[in-house]
Amino acid sequence: MPLQSSTRTLPWYAVPWIVDGWQKVKRYPLIPLAILLFMLVIPAIFAPLVAPHDAFQGSLSHRLMPPFWQEGGSTEHILGTDKLGRDMLSRIIYGARVSLTVSLIAIFVGGIIGTALGLISGYFGGWTDAVIMRLVDISLSLPTILLALVLVAAVGPSFGTVITVLIVLLWARYARLVRGETLAIKELDFIARARVAGASHTRIMGKYIFPNVVNSLIVLATLQVGYVILLESALSFLGAGLPRAEPAWGVMVSDGRELIVTAWWVSMFPGLAIMLTVLSLNLMGDWLRDHLDPKLRNL
Amino acid sequence: MKTKLTSLFAGLLMAAAAILTAAPAPGWAAPVKRLIFASAGFHESNRFWTIARPDHLQFEPFWETLVGIDPKTGDYIPALATKWSSSPDFREWTFHLRKGVQFHNGYGEFTSQDVVHAHSLLIRKDSTATLRPFWATVEEVKPLDKYTVVFRFKNPAMPSSMLFGASRSGDLRMTSKAQWDKEGIEGLDKQPAGTGPFQYAGRKTGLNILFKRNDNHWSGNKVEFEELEFRIAREEATRLALLLSGDVHIADLPRELHKDALAKGLKRFQSSLAVDWVSVYMGGLWFITGDKSFDPKAPFVNKKVRQALNISINREELLKTVFAGRADLAYVSLWVPTSEGWNSKWESRFKELYAYNPEKAKQLLKEAGYGPGNPLKFEFWAFTEPGESEGPAIADALAIYFRNVGVQAEVQMHDWAKIRTAYRKKQSKNFMWPNIIGWRPADQGVRNFYISKGNNHHYEDDFLEKTFGEVAKSTDAKKRGDLLQAIGNHIQEEYADIPLFWFRNEVFANPKVVSNWVYPGPAAGRSSHFEGIKLVQ
Amino acid sequence: MQRFMAVRVLQSLMAILVMSMIVFGLARISGNPLDVMLPIEALPEDYERLEKHWGLDKPLHEQYFIFVKKALQGDFGQSLKYQGKSAMGLVAERLPATLELAGFALLISAILALPIGVLAAVAKGSSMDTAAKIIALLGQSLPAFWLGIVLMWIFAVLLDWLPSSGRGGLQHLILPAITLGWFQVAAIMRLVRSSMLEVLDSEFVKLARVKGIPEWKVVWKHCLRNAGIAPLTFFAIIAGSLLTGSVVTETVFTWPGVGLLVVDAVRSRDFQVVQAVVIMFAGIFILCNLLVDILYAYLDPRIRVQ
Repeated sequence: MPLQSSTRTLPWYAVPWIVDGWQKVKRYPLIPLAILLFMLVIPAIFAPLVAPHDAFQGSLSHRLMPPFWQEGGSTEHILGTDKLGRDMLSRIIYGARVSLTVSLIAIFVGGIIGTALGLISGYFGGWTDAVIMRLVDISLSLPTILLALVLVAAVGPSFGTVITVLIVLLWARYARLVRGETLAIKELDFIARARVAGASHTRIMGKYIFPNVVNSLIVLATLQVGYVILLESALSFLGAGLPRAEPAWGVMVSDGRELIVTAWWVSMFPGLAIMLTVLSLNLMGDWLRDHLDPKLRNL
Repeated sequence: MKTKLTSLFAGLLMAAAAILTAAPAPGWAAPVKRLIFASAGFHESNRFWTIARPDHLQFEPFWETLVGIDPKTGDYIPALATKWSSSPDFREWTFHLRKGVQFHNGYGEFTSQDVVHAHSLLIRKDSTATLRPFWATVEEVKPLDKYTVVFRFKNPAMPSSMLFGASRSGDLRMTSKAQWDKEGIEGLDKQPAGTGPFQYAGRKTGLNILFKRNDNHWSGNKVEFEELEFRIAREEATRLALLLSGDVHIADLPRELHKDALAKGLKRFQSSLAVDWVSVYMGGLWFITGDKSFDPKAPFVNKKVRQALNISINREELLKTVFAGRADLAYVSLWVPTSEGWNSKWESRFKELYAYNPEKAKQLLKEAGYGPGNPLKFEFWAFTEPGESEGPAIADALAIYFRNVGVQAEVQMHDWAKIRTAYRKKQSKNFMWPNIIGWRPADQGVRNFYISKGNNHHYEDDFLEKTFGEVAKSTDAKKRGDLLQAIGNHIQEEYADIPLFWFRNEVFANPKVVSNWVYPGPAAGRSSHFEGIKLVQ
Repeated sequence: MQRFMAVRVLQSLMAILVMSMIVFGLARISGNPLDVMLPIEALPEDYERLEKHWGLDKPLHEQYFIFVKKALQGDFGQSLKYQGKSAMGLVAERLPATLELAGFALLISAILALPIGVLAAVAKGSSMDTAAKIIALLGQSLPAFWLGIVLMWIFAVLLDWLPSSGRGGLQHLILPAITLGWFQVAAIMRLVRSSMLEVLDSEFVKLARVKGIPEWKVVWKHCLRNAGIAPLTFFAIIAGSLLTGSVVTETVFTWPGVGLLVVDAVRSRDFQVVQAVVIMFAGIFILCNLLVDILYAYLDPRIRVQ
């Protein structure tokens, strides 16, 4: 029903704010949002309700069944089963939960640390700035995958290890971004006025500078979720990521690697899941950047 | 402008396509000049005294040993030694060497000096050879004359151990002393001289090793192909792909891929004998009186728990699925019928004690104090090494069986080194791990795995310590047999571990190139006797 | 300018030093290499013997000082796994393979990315632009290891056009290079596109058009030259990502380069080699960053003042 037509033909429930709302919604990137919703958010939150089978328990007699459209497959296991008879679809759904948890925690913690350090660094300048920026440089020059490999060899694969590695790698980008913005903002008049009025450093950083940095942070975070998922799956692939008990997408691709010639679905579908998720996250990130802060075009 | 660029693109694409298709497609020619075997990889070095037994695969074609192994029966047969005998107390072993054997590259005739030299390499300060502890008990290697040499031991060396070490199963590789004197260790690194049916032609680290046929081999047998290459391809999928595309002619594949390899027409050759076995070891079972590391609250300490875990596993199903039916049940870890101390009653006892019975398992766990409100929890540490990929599959499968009886086993992937450190330092009381290893004489196996002196601490107790102490002292075959059998009985009855399967070494080959390959299996490198490969004519 | 350079160089050296400490510590914590090297038959006295032989029985900080002292002379120790080879020697042996792969990957991605990026900028909003955006997005969303496996499956197994692993001729190089370079295509393309967009809008371009200079000359000659400065920063990042990306790609295709070497070394606790590789990677990355910073400072005086 065309909402742009005159108000006389609008139904009784089409109050103005719904009309406005609908027009706003049309401007949003629906397709990537939909993909994200179905691939990441809903599975992650509602996994036990949505998954058709148990992702951890399989029946050995049902192992390596192909997807339902191939000979030997069945609608019981739409995307087939893996080496141990576990349903692929259910594992992918639970895998969303794993990926989302890991990346959100890593980005959240890394983001907080990075933002705090970036604010301090940009605001105070001088030696503090120099030290923090050197730390940033070192952190950015760490060969990520190698260090993860060595760390996991030292401490063993676990949720904690992977998240720690990711945090160590992520915070620096936030710090650098926030520092740059802080440098620009702190020269502005209203900051000077606040200083004169006697506001403490913390207050200035928290109340005046931080809100202006939030937009960029959101864009960076969204773009980073995809990157983190890729990194975590690469680490899991190399055996330096999450413990095998978790149905992480990267672990699944790695498991299916030796079966690529014969049971292609064990690797393909988790890989596809990674790709679609990261793709839509990047699209979202791009859209956010275009709408929130075009200055960040070169991020 | 747009059309100009589009045509430029098109041109580039066509050029790329031309380059790609100009590359010659690999052919399936037979008979071949160079036979290529794809291996999962090994520690690459010519310093054989630093190489573990399974990785002696890389020396198989060119470095020989005193005693050989019959490819069909697995019996010990003459190789570089034609005859051997021991003194009644087994402290002296005399080997009579084959006359007229020439080293490659003109380094002269093989004599007893070379035997002395080979042994001296194995006991070097930097030696990490598998059987070094055995070779270190040799007091002296004396050359009686040019073709006779005597090994004098501090303690009696039983035939099973001596022949194991001196044969193709062991690591005493006969290398040229003349070359060592002339070129030192660099010569050995670069172009080692051996006596085998092939000579070493060179290697590219991470890529391959090349061997050339030795037309003057002492056996007089003619190898059907001129060159042999070991191509290193650590990924299973890659090895299968290489086989299917004809890039290699033989490769070993994990059992996972056997069904499909056969479906695609590849031919399977298995070793004549079973050679590797897999059991799952449980940590923390240190029952020797006075052992401070012992924790009575550790998960596996209660015998009922161990029994329950054992009978919750459907071994037949596991065999059919994860191992594709290509294995035999192990009735007691370590032992095959030809091992010292084998008890023919173990098979029937096994069927009684270890039969699949999940209901009984749940009952036993309840008696041990576990139940739905208080489930038994422990970790399962799995690992994978190139060429040994079954570990995680076993771990996952067993975790499922355990789950069915209410046990929560958390599967964790670690690397092998970490697991070893943990069980060596007795930090393993909360986890179990798969032990995939090759056959060795029973007394060596017991000493490695069930005795406090060994490095693998999972199950130990006073009975085993005492009994094994007597084995070590005895040289009487019957007495040793009885004692070792008593040890085996004890291990089986106490549910000391979770025995699973014995399996043979299996490789796949291109049927258009390879027609037959008979090899025993117990050779150090598993795949061996490459000189016996018969090609399609 | 001199002071700026001196400070930056000093900072880079500090970074490398910190890196070495981190790697050294981690590698040592990761476990005892003897547990990999020695067979299960080994007795406690064998462990002692080899610990003494390899100097592993000394306290950690002492081992570190010995390590640094030798490293400054270029000796990164002996590989524990490949007896008889020095750690740096192994790295030097494998480096050409990785450089070959990375170089080819960079070439492929540049050849693909540059023209598409330029065209996308010029034909902004058209289907070409959208196609470029899609390619860029795909590049940044595909997990490299998965792409490698898919490519191997399609081209080496199903079609049998290309070999599936190992190093050899041009044909062996193609699949790994595409896998490695794919991510870069996206990054380079977006970069070129955004730089070009900025430049295309600028005054002197409008002037050039008014002067009657043919469009293609405007785009390729004038704009590209100016737009080329920005991608320079990313060259350092790309070099870094190529080196670390090589770890995954070399594992998938069993390409005998430095990436595969280090994965093996970690697995076998060959920490001399691990240290050598990580420090070398970090060193290259830091060096690239340093060069770029200096170049930038040279081109843009404002930065020097900071």
